[in-house]
Amino acid sequence: MNQFEGSERYYLNPELKEIVNIAIAMEKPLLLTGEAGTGKTQLAYEVSRTLGFTMEEARCKSTFKGEELCYVYDTVLRLNDSRFGSGETGRDVNNIWDYLRFGPIGRAFLSDDRRVLLLDEIDKTDSDTQDNLLDVLEDGSFIIREINHKVSARQKPVIIITSNAKRELSDPFLRRCFCHYIPFPPPEEMMQIVRLHYPEIPEEFLEASLTSFYRLRGQGYEKPPATAELLDWVGSMWKSGKQSPGAGKETAHIGTLLKRTQDILKFKGLRRESRF
Amino acid sequence: MIGFIYQLRDAGIPISAQYILEFYRALKGGLAPDMDRLFLLARLIFVKRVEHYDLFEQVFGAFFLGADPAQSVARWEELLAGKPFQEWLRQEIESGRLSSKELQEFDTEELLAKFWETVLAQKEAHHGGRKWVGTGGSSPFGHSGAGGGGIRVYGRGLHGTAQKVIEKRGFVDYSDKATLTATNLGQVLTSLRSLRPTGPEAELDVDETIAKTARNAGEIEFIFRRELRNRLRLVVLLDNGGYSMMPYVSLVKTVFNKIRGLFRDVNTYYFHNCIYGTVYRDIQRTQPLKWETFLGESKSTRLILIGDADMAPAELMAAFGSIEFYNNERRPGWEWLKELRHAFPASVWLNPIPRERWEWHSPTITQIGRLFHMEDLTLAGIKNAVEHLNVQGSAFDKVMG
Repeated sequence: MNQFEGSERYYLNPELKEIVNIAIAMEKPLLLTGEAGTGKTQLAYEVSRTLGFTMEEARCKSTFKGEELCYVYDTVLRLNDSRFGSGETGRDVNNIWDYLRFGPIGRAFLSDDRRVLLLDEIDKTDSDTQDNLLDVLEDGSFIIREINHKVSARQKPVIIITSNAKRELSDPFLRRCFCHYIPFPPPEEMMQIVRLHYPEIPEEFLEASLTSFYRLRGQGYEKPPATAELLDWVGSMWKSGKQSPGAGKETAHIGTLLKRTQDILKFKGLRRESRF
Repeated sequence: MIGFIYQLRDAGIPISAQYILEFYRALKGGLAPDMDRLFLLARLIFVKRVEHYDLFEQVFGAFFLGADPAQSVARWEELLAGKPFQEWLRQEIESGRLSSKELQEFDTEELLAKFWETVLAQKEAHHGGRKWVGTGGSSPFGHSGAGGGGIRVYGRGLHGTAQKVIEKRGFVDYSDKATLTATNLGQVLTSLRSLRPTGPEAELDVDETIAKTARNAGEIEFIFRRELRNRLRLVVLLDNGGYSMMPYVSLVKTVFNKIRGLFRDVNTYYFHNCIYGTVYRDIQRTQPLKWETFLGESKSTRLILIGDADMAPAELMAAFGSIEFYNNERRPGWEWLKELRHAFPASVWLNPIPRERWEWHSPTITQIGRLFHMEDLTLAGIKNAVEHLNVQGSAFDKVMG
C-alpha cells in the first residue's frame, strides 16, 4: 500500500498524515478546510511528491461550471473547420474526439498511472458546480454530454480538495468526501514550521516573533495573519537585520502581517466609525 | 459500534447509511488499529462539518472513553487500566467468553459479530450504552493481533490525539448553536444567491448558432447570450426601536454589518415594532419612504426583516394599534405585514430571540411566524433563512432577468 510520509521541506502534523493515509486507503476524496495559510494546497504537492504521482491541478474560479474541469468541447473550432475545412491540422470534422480537450479531471482519469488530483479552493464555485462534480467524486467518472459517453477513471486518482470556507459547500458534495478541518497550528508546531524555512534564525528571535504573532492573531482582526504572513514577516525582519521584532505599536514590518486597510488602521489605534 | 453511531445521530449529526458501510469497510481494512486512529477514522467518515466536531468529540468521549459528557474526560489509559474495565476483561476471560488466544487474534469477522452483540447487550444492560468501556456488554476491544483488525486496549495509542483533542474541546465555537461571529456568519451569508443574466453577451449559444448558421446556408453566425451570474438585490428591514430589542443590539449589529459588508446591492430601512405603511431611510426614523415605492421593488428582491416580532397583540391586530403617539394609521399592522409579504415573495424574518423561547415569549411571534418564514439568529437559523430565500427567490430570478 502507498503510505504517505512527510518530507524534509514540509512539516507534517502526525494526525494529518494518518488522515491522508486513511483517505488514500479508502479511495475517498479528501476535503481540507481551514484558514488560508494552513498548508492545505501544499499538502497536495507533498502527497504527489512523496508518492511519486503526477499532479493534476484545478484552480477553481467562480465562473466554473465544473464540466470544463473534465473536458471542453470546442464547438467554435469545429464549426470553423466544417465551414472552412480543417486543412493540414489532421482534425476530422466528423470525429468529435478531435474537438474534445480534457481538463485536469479528464487527464487524471484517462492516465494509465495513478495521479494526484487537486481541486483548489472549491468554495469559490457555485453549488451547481459542486453538484456537477458529484459523479467525479463518487465513482471516478464523468459523462461527455455531447455523445453521452462515460469516461471512467482507469486508476482512481488521489483526490485532494481544498476550501477556505468562504462559502458553504453543498451537502451532497460533503457527503462524498472525507472532510478534515485543519486547525491553526499551535505555537510549538509553528516553531517547527518556521524552522524548516529559516533554519539559521536564533531561538530567542523566533520566540519573540511568535509571541507577538500570536498576540496579534488574538486581537480579532478582519483578516488575522496566518502562516504565510508569519513566514514573510520573519523573513523580512531577518533579512533587514532587525535584532528584535518589536512589540505593540513598534512592531516592525507590520505591512507583511496585516493586509487590510481596516486592520492596519485598527492596529494603529484608529477606528473606523461604526456603521450601525 | 452501531450504538455509537446512533448516539452520533441522536446528538444531531446527520448520518447516512453509506457512512456506516464505509465505516465497517474501513474497520475491516484494519484502518483503526488503535484508539487514536479510530477517532480520526470515525471523524473523517461521520463528520462533514466543523460545526459538529465538538458534538462528535463529546459523543466519542462518552462512548469510548466512558466520560461523563458534563465532566472533563479522564485519561483513557487510566480508564482502561482502571478497575471496572480490567475486572470486566478478567471476567470475560475467566468465564471463557473471551479466550486469551481470541484476545490476541481477534479478526475482523469476529469483531463485527461482537459489535452487533454489543448493541444488543447495551440496549438492555445500560441505558443506551452511555458508558461503553467497563460496564458490561461485550466489547469488541481486543488486543490488536497480527491481523491488525482489532482495536488496541493495551499499550499506548499513536499520539494520544483523540484524548488530547477531546479534552481541549477546541471546536466549541463552531457548534451550530454557537453565537455568531463575523467569520462564521460570512460563510453562511455568501451562499445567498440570485442568478440572473448579466454582463456582456459572451456565452456561445450552440443551438441558436447552429440554427442561424443553417438558415444562412452554412455561413457561420455566432449567437451569444448573457451569462447567468449572482446579482443579489437585498432589502433589510430593521426594527431599531423599543426596549424589547435592547438585549439583542450587539447580536443584530454583527449580523447587520456583515450583510452590509458582503453585498453590494443592499437597501436598509427601519421600523419600530410593527409596520404601518411607512418604513424609514434613517435610524432616527424621520425620513419616511413611500409605501408604494417600497413595494414596487422587483419580485426577485430578497427581503430580510430583523426584529423580535414581540409586541402587544393590539399593536398587531387592532386598528389604530401603533404605540407611536402621532401615528394615526387606521389599518392594523397585520394588514400591512400581509401586503409586505405579498410584495416580497422571497422574504424571511430573523428573530434575535432564541427559537425555543418564541412560543411563550409573545403570542405575536407565533402570529407573525405564520405569515413570514421565521428563523432565529443562530448559525443554523441563518443557514435555514438563506436556503429559504434561495429557494423562494429562484422562481422569480428568471422572470425578472
